[in-house]
Amino acid sequence: MTLASDSYYMFLRWMKKLVRNPILLFFSLFQPIIFLVLFTQLFSSFGLLLGGINYTIFATAGIVLQNAFSSAFQSGTAVVDDIKSGFLTKMLATPASRASILLGRLLSDAFRVFAQSLIILVLAYGLGVFPVTGFIGYVLILFTVAFFGLAWSGISLALGLRTKSAETVFGIAGTLTFPLLFMSTALMDKRLMPEWMKNVSAYNPISFAVNAIRDLIINGYNWNSFLLSFGVISLIAILTMGATIYEFRKVVS
Amino acid sequence: MPAVQVENLVKTYGDGTQAVKRISFNVDDGEFFGFLGPNGAGKSTTIKILTTLLRKTSGVASVAGLDIEHDAQKVRKLIGVQMQDTVIDEDLTGRENLELQGHLQQMHGGELKERVNELLKVVDLGDAADKRSAYYSGGMKKRLDLASTLVHRPKILFLDEPTTGLDPQSRAQVWSYLKGLNQTGMTIFITTQYLEEVDRLCRRLAILDHGEIVAQGSPAELKSEIGADRVTLAFENGNPGTGSLKDKAKQVLGGLGGITEIVDSDEGIVVYAKNGGFLVPDIVRAFDNAEIKLSSIGVSSPTLDDVFLKHTGRRIRPEEIDKSRASGMFGRRRR
Repeated sequence: MTLASDSYYMFLRWMKKLVRNPILLFFSLFQPIIFLVLFTQLFSSFGLLLGGINYTIFATAGIVLQNAFSSAFQSGTAVVDDIKSGFLTKMLATPASRASILLGRLLSDAFRVFAQSLIILVLAYGLGVFPVTGFIGYVLILFTVAFFGLAWSGISLALGLRTKSAETVFGIAGTLTFPLLFMSTALMDKRLMPEWMKNVSAYNPISFAVNAIRDLIINGYNWNSFLLSFGVISLIAILTMGATIYEFRKVVS
Repeated sequence: MPAVQVENLVKTYGDGTQAVKRISFNVDDGEFFGFLGPNGAGKSTTIKILTTLLRKTSGVASVAGLDIEHDAQKVRKLIGVQMQDTVIDEDLTGRENLELQGHLQQMHGGELKERVNELLKVVDLGDAADKRSAYYSGGMKKRLDLASTLVHRPKILFLDEPTTGLDPQSRAQVWSYLKGLNQTGMTIFITTQYLEEVDRLCRRLAILDHGEIVAQGSPAELKSEIGADRVTLAFENGNPGTGSLKDKAKQVLGGLGGITEIVDSDEGIVVYAKNGGFLVPDIVRAFDNAEIKLSSIGVSSPTLDDVFLKHTGRRIRPEEIDKSRASGMFGRRRR
């Protein structure tokens, strides 16, 4: 199985690159930590509006998702680097499986989001956030977030492959992050949103994932919301992977 | 069986640019083959097609007897490819770069470890093997890049200007590695701007201009097509200028047989003749009789530079190319 072994070595390469750029690692975690520590303090009174709950507990699901969202959105820039430096060409001149080039990158994205989410959850634990679903809850949360990250990095990869410009990927990612985040249930309960935003957030894919994770943290197992989010993320994944494969084919041929 | 076989190869880009126009050539097994041409002649396009990185528009091309499109996967196992720019992953160590290339060529375990150690020694990176390659010098990076194309012991090595942008010492080193590799039987297909090295190392070469092959053969054959050696004469009283001395000298030379052309130059007079070496005693004797004192006389055979000039109407000057490349004045030089 050269696909499996090639993907593994591509994945390993990205992991090494990640670990050797600790500054990158730190800064990508900086924002979610700020959100977790400062934002939840500043807006702690929202908890009262939500019926006297702890806002930190409420927002953790959103912060984990927000991190996955922005982390995965960087994926395309790494591929742009590989195109610009010629490394992609160098890999294409070997018999390595073409699919493994994408697969290795996607797996590393999923793994990175997984690790970052774990760190955030550990910090959140220190702030008194522990899922009522316990250990299995943690596993399901991390699984959901990693899957979300994988699906979302497809958008970034497709953009990177199409535009071949890291600036464009960064620009689009930066522009989309906050509107998509604020128009979801990540940081605010839909009951407190204006009507139009409530409608938008109901269709925002982030909301589905956040709701599933929030249920696991606050309410316990809610298989309906879990499977719904799984379905929505799968749909995103199919769309973004389709776009990525389409763009990759154009670059490779 | 030729290592590379190209027949009527055509590449037309989407925008209608005809980068390669029906070229045909062969490279024999074990040959050191130079592929020359001015910038934009279609060299890189041809290399990309032969290394399965670009689809041809029409024509037939095979590498090691395998069709480059139908058997692309097999071709990739047999070739090593070095791009014009140094391509290594600077976040990885030298050893890791080589191991990655090996893994992608389906080499694993002890066999790969041994091969990597061997290569690190060959390119003098043994001591730096476990350092991040970001900290390597330009020459070290190039050597690592070269080594990374060799991990799987390719039969045919394709190099696109492997020494452009390197300092003279690193350049000489790369050429000496290539010479050694060729001596082990590896076929080498190279594009370069360095004609002296081509002359010294390439058994055969082809010159490409505007997407067409305008000349091919051995360096000696191509140079002999120029048809004349260059005999440079300088006089004791310095440049005789346009005065009577020079006229007299020309008159003397006109009386000798075998000269094809007499040209004024800053240093004195240049004479083109078929067998310049044999002419020297005649010239010396004739000037002696005419009491014109020569300060020096030199014979040089035509160089590949003359060959290049004849076929493309341009000279190659690597130093200038390096500068323009560094300053980015002319943007990207290849497609």
